[in-house]
Amino acid sequence: MKPRNSLRILFPNTVAAALLVLTGCATRGVKNPDGVPVTQMGADERGFVAGTGIESQDLVAVTDRMARSILSIPEIGRAEVPPRIVLDPVVNETRFPINKDIFNDRIRIELNRNAMGRVRFLARDRMSTLERERELKQTGQVTASADPNVTEFRGADYFLTGKLAGMSTRTSAGTSDYVLYSFQLIDARTSEIVWEDSAEIKKQGLEDAAYR
Amino acid sequence: MKTGARCGARGKRARMALRRVLACGCFMLTSSGCFSPPRVANIAYTGDPVIDGNAQLAAARPEDRVLWNYRIAASAMRVGNFEEAKRQLDDAILTMGGIITNSAEAERARSLFSAERSKVFIGEPYERVMAYYYRGILYWRDGEPDNARACFRTGQFIDSDAANQSYRSDYVLLDYLDGLASAKLGADGRDAYRRAVENGKGRPLPPFDREANVLVFAEFGAGPRKYSGGEYGEQLRFAVSDSRAHSAELTIAGRTVTLPAYDDLNYQATTRGGRLMDHILGNKAVFKSTTNTVGDVAAVGSIVAASRMNRWDGTRSEGSQNTALALGAVALISKIASAATSPEADTRTWHNLPQRLSFAALKLEPGDYAARLEFFDAAGARLPALAQDLRVVVGGPERDTVVFLSELKR
Repeated sequence: MKPRNSLRILFPNTVAAALLVLTGCATRGVKNPDGVPVTQMGADERGFVAGTGIESQDLVAVTDRMARSILSIPEIGRAEVPPRIVLDPVVNETRFPINKDIFNDRIRIELNRNAMGRVRFLARDRMSTLERERELKQTGQVTASADPNVTEFRGADYFLTGKLAGMSTRTSAGTSDYVLYSFQLIDARTSEIVWEDSAEIKKQGLEDAAYR
Repeated sequence: MKTGARCGARGKRARMALRRVLACGCFMLTSSGCFSPPRVANIAYTGDPVIDGNAQLAAARPEDRVLWNYRIAASAMRVGNFEEAKRQLDDAILTMGGIITNSAEAERARSLFSAERSKVFIGEPYERVMAYYYRGILYWRDGEPDNARACFRTGQFIDSDAANQSYRSDYVLLDYLDGLASAKLGADGRDAYRRAVENGKGRPLPPFDREANVLVFAEFGAGPRKYSGGEYGEQLRFAVSDSRAHSAELTIAGRTVTLPAYDDLNYQATTRGGRLMDHILGNKAVFKSTTNTVGDVAAVGSIVAASRMNRWDGTRSEGSQNTALALGAVALISKIASAATSPEADTRTWHNLPQRLSFAALKLEPGDYAARLEFFDAAGARLPALAQDLRVVVGGPERDTVVFLSELKR
């Protein structure tokens, strides 16, 4: 009877065992070594989301909502004369540095697009340029289609302001960031808040173990 | 004849087995990461830290990009090239400001046969904090104190990951500047001030001056350096030394503004505690050690078995031969695996960070001022070799004037 060739059994088993041993031993005992993929969640849900800062989809969602909301109030929707609105820069109270102008810019664009002339915005950020132009007209250096000495810069009927506030948590389970976007329309004459709305977004994620 | 045929067949089988072992060994060699020597960039150094840094950035591995962003930003701040610093820090924050998941490089760094430095560098927490600290200074310089505050808050948030509760979010300046920005924006900065005082552990902190329009950010000393320890370099350690400069003073407009050290990066680096990655590297080191030992034992066994292949009567023991070959294969695989295992900790360092951070706020009328910055040692003795003469231009009321001062030149 031929003796068993132990090498034929032992060798491939040895190699297979070696390969098994060689794969992924280092992350033994590490929870979620690959990190956790990105999903979106509601503000009242608990979950895992990566990229917890203020991102473009947040901007779009928030400004769309604010624009629709503003147009529904009677001070805008049923105004006999289109109200003049000045945009006040958004105040950032979160831990994320942002391009603040982009929020107001997008709200203004959405309102102008959807309001069909029911609101007018005042370009107060361009006042120095406009005053320079008026001065040129007043001194006759350039032509004017109307009397340049008449004050025609409009006063504001309302101020549109916004604030971004945040709450952040960090544990071994991950990082969580909640941002509350709130906007107000303030009557420039009476200081009444004639409109206010908000949106909230919460995100949570856990980075790769290589960074923990 | 029959016996001769059997011996020939056995020899053929043994040779086939040996070929398989060699093939396996070659496979292990190639699959465990063929070593290729690192690229040596051919850079013509000009002596300008920003130009040279950008040249090194262009030649660097993609995994090292953020490291060079950091280094160039710090150098740019010190030579007054704030736009370049802003550009570098924004580039870095795009990478390190999010949450890195599903990264092939990170997965490779966690694997047995790639070193930790395979991952994209974003820095240890103290390095990431400094990136946000510098960026915050630049936001404030641009008249955006709320974005500056956001950076300081993120910095403090990054530091909340320390293993020991006592060392979490314990930067003094980050909370103090958070509160000062809030106060200047008309909000309530008292909570942040209280936290700063607690973190200061008895060091006096000036109350907020909302009217202050000149903000002086100072830094001095040399920051921590990383090195690897442990049998296989799997432990990340920090080399720190106490720099000579312990405090500074700015003399301007007939006034002397003290600049005590509020934060110490050596302290921050060494008190962060263990990382999860340390556990992974520890496992790699254990595997490396174990496979090395297994390889040694198997090699000895193979030698012993080989020595018993030939019987006293001149015949060959097929069993001993097979055992020798098998153990030899195990020894080869184990040794290769051990040699290929890379448990070394990542020692890439933002090497031009300062040790100490300071701050002062004062009110000055718009104008051009001559100023002198002097440094002092721990005993309060002046360090004349480090003194600097400078000019400070205070602008109008539309934004605060930010002055950045550093003992470091690059």
